[in-house]
Amino acid sequence: MNVESRKKALRFMFQKVVDPLGYKFSPDEETVDFLLEQEVMLEQKHGIPFCPCQGLTRKREENMKIVCPCIPFHREHFDAIKRCWCLLFVTKDVTNPDELKQIPFGEIKRG
Amino acid sequence: MKVFMYTLSTCPWCRKTKKFFSERNIPFDYVDYDLAAENEQDKIMEEMKRSGGTMAFPFVRIDDEIIVGYNPEKYSELIEQKRGRQK
Repeated sequence: MNVESRKKALRFMFQKVVDPLGYKFSPDEETVDFLLEQEVMLEQKHGIPFCPCQGLTRKREENMKIVCPCIPFHREHFDAIKRCWCLLFVTKDVTNPDELKQIPFGEIKRG
Repeated sequence: MKVFMYTLSTCPWCRKTKKFFSERNIPFDYVDYDLAAENEQDKIMEEMKRSGGTMAFPFVRIDDEIIVGYNPEKYSELIEQKRGRQK
């Protein structure tokens, strides 16, 4: 399958996963397209579409927590910033993704 | 002022972070974690986990201050602070 076809397939699959979680694709189509392309390449390399904005470790159980869409493993964090770390997904109420900051979980917990 | 960052070649926010500093003519060094050798990855992982506990990129160090994530407001604030101290 070529890159464009796989991007479309991932988009279709991810939509079904994130919708019941209260998320949607970011309205920033350029970023979404770039991220999906990176995920296709990560999938070609590792066999799994990992998050392009988080680093893989040597521990499988850690890496499984950054398989896209990784929202269920980072729920408290992403719900607080209304976006996933990459900004591939935003909560359904978001209309302007530019307003959403990339704040690490540690800072949110500290308030 | 010394700027250093750990980034991922696949991450658009890492690219934006590099662009932020380049556009302001602020020199920086960086290592793309995903393209680094395994022993170097281990060292980076250890440093990142010690500083914040996650493997979220970009990871920016301005002198001894660490900022995780693409945060232009914080970068600017820190740069101003550092420049103020240098005067």
